[in-house]
Amino acid sequence: MSAPQAASGVSTAASPAAAAPVLSVEGFSLTFDAKAQTNLVEDVSFSVAPGRTLCIVGESGCGKSVTSLALMGLLPSPPARIVSGTARFEGSDLFAMSERARADLRGNEMAMIFQEPMTSLNPAFTIGHQIAEGIIRHRKLSKAQARAEALKMLEWVRIPAAAKRLDAYPHQLSGGMRQRVMIAMALANRPKLLIADEPTTALDVTIQAQILALVRRIQQETGTAMILITHDLGVVAEVADDVAVMYAGRIVESGPVEAIFADPQHPYTIGLFGSVPSLERRQGRLATIKGAVPPLQLMPKGCRFAPRCPFADTRCHEQVPPTVSFGAGHKAACWYAPIEQTMGATQ
Amino acid sequence: MSSPAEQPILEARGLVKRFGGRRGIFDSSPTVHAVNDVSLRIARGETFAIVGESGCGKSTLGRLLLRLIEASEGEVLYEGQSITALSQREMRRLRRDLQIIFQDPFASLNPRMTVGDIIAEPIRLHGLARGKAVQARVTELLGIVGLRAEYADRYPHEFSGGQRQRIGIARALAGEPKLIIGDEPVSALDVSIQAQVINLLEDLKDRFGLTLVIVAHDLAVIRHMSDRVAVMYLGEIVELSPVDPLYEQPLHPYTQALLGAIPRPDPKDRAAPKLLQGDVPSPTDLPPGCRFHTRCPHARQLCQEIRPVLEDAGGGRGVACHFWREIAQMETATTQRARTDGALDRRLEVYRAAQARREADSSQAGKIL
Repeated sequence: MSAPQAASGVSTAASPAAAAPVLSVEGFSLTFDAKAQTNLVEDVSFSVAPGRTLCIVGESGCGKSVTSLALMGLLPSPPARIVSGTARFEGSDLFAMSERARADLRGNEMAMIFQEPMTSLNPAFTIGHQIAEGIIRHRKLSKAQARAEALKMLEWVRIPAAAKRLDAYPHQLSGGMRQRVMIAMALANRPKLLIADEPTTALDVTIQAQILALVRRIQQETGTAMILITHDLGVVAEVADDVAVMYAGRIVESGPVEAIFADPQHPYTIGLFGSVPSLERRQGRLATIKGAVPPLQLMPKGCRFAPRCPFADTRCHEQVPPTVSFGAGHKAACWYAPIEQTMGATQ
Repeated sequence: MSSPAEQPILEARGLVKRFGGRRGIFDSSPTVHAVNDVSLRIARGETFAIVGESGCGKSTLGRLLLRLIEASEGEVLYEGQSITALSQREMRRLRRDLQIIFQDPFASLNPRMTVGDIIAEPIRLHGLARGKAVQARVTELLGIVGLRAEYADRYPHEFSGGQRQRIGIARALAGEPKLIIGDEPVSALDVSIQAQVINLLEDLKDRFGLTLVIVAHDLAVIRHMSDRVAVMYLGEIVELSPVDPLYEQPLHPYTQALLGAIPRPDPKDRAAPKLLQGDVPSPTDLPPGCRFHTRCPHARQLCQEIRPVLEDAGGGRGVACHFWREIAQMETATTQRARTDGALDRRLEVYRAAQARREADSSQAGKIL
């Protein structure tokens, strides 16, 4: 938890202005089972500065969504229990705050949008009502003022015929429009941090492109810090400033987006890139990552990727790998990175 | 691939499917025009892809091709014979040859049956084996899709998504089919698992000489897997083409928009795409003329009035657009981009080599570390 450690967080090294991070997570571990030997999320650290986008990438079950829910204070506890770590939001530790203080932050200073807008909007209330609700809760405006504010938000996210849509119910809107409403709602109180959990996964590509363009524009206009959680490397390439690759509850590699794409170091990151079919002319078979993520009880003591890694040896299974720096904020947790030097020679 | 003269394994002629539209005093449901006048020929041994966004009718078309639902108009020919008028009994015999795998492997496997019984069912149904031979065949099929023989006694819920998809594939293979339709076969899977299943499908296709029809929305998966692609928009095929020219020089404005909308996996290449405006119109209330004209950046008066038909664009390509020649001249920028990730390629090679060594070792009596 020392200061220099925090300064070498994911986002700071890449941002020239080195603005103080809005959120800085240090050594965060979480479990759902107090008796379990292994934590679901283990020793996760990252930070995100104003106007920057941190993408957390990983496959299902890697802990990316659970981490974001824990930051928002939306995990039921018990069973969830934060084992260790701090999450400094604007300087104060979220995990040490009272539930009341967190409720004041939520939907206000920090907001979240989810993958499926249909299930996160209330079907029984109009769009206008739902946006105004959050405004009234945090800003003590009158109903009429809040409604005017809601209209402004809908226009801002470019909902056509916004005045009419205020009185529409969620089911009357298309998937893309619903996601715009969610974004309007999340941004209504000008949050300093926006967490977006797979915001475009349920949408068609042409609609996804519209939403990503909207998110980018909004971020430029407001300077909101954003954490975007996704499994889609294309989306990462499109919007990220910094990237954290998660595997089985740990960050295995992190750094500026250019470094992650041009110079991936962790075998999981390499395998993941090799698994994605390309839009370019076919270049033979896809690389694969053998097997599947082991259940928590069978997780190795050392590197969690070891059972699926083509390079792993006994040490990898037994000892947690050190985090190695590859310059400019780029770090990977692997005993053998860079693999072409440590492994290429032994062929 | 095959010349057009060769008899296609599966052919659709003027397929139309409408849903709903019953009109009574108390009941008036609007007609959904799901598929409209679709004709296509699928060559033996090819991988044919049907691509489009949600609601474009691609899944309906897939089901029509297998007669899992009845067409409102038009017919389907399998090996030159119409299957549209066949009796249930005759159809059942055909089902051995024509199989389907679904997107959600969990919803398509009976939770009360063991994996062994799920795979054995088509074997017994078609009388392909009896007694002990059934078990032997199930074991063989599990091996073919890369699952262990012991899994036969377990239930679907005990498996991960990727394993369930393998079970679905094993069941589809049980009848020794000639053609398999995959309806979004990998879209519910994580990237690393998706790659495993794509490679498996390709291996099986080679091994058993299958014809594959892939219904999907993921354009990268389609480029990787297919030989030819049909692009659908609101129930119609707007472009049909061999895979490489389609991606390198898309002709239809919708195909161009679709390819332009995909995020590129290259952070150095963040050119703002030309965005399509608005949403897809409802299939219950279709625009007149070209169905794409409401969103098309090139639309003119003619497009609002007359529906373009799929016309021959040369090189085995077809496109349904009045102005495709003009548009092709305007759109000089192609989607071609150079791959610059030298480090990734180098490391992937080391990664693959290590993986191959491991595999060789473990198949040599498990001498793995």
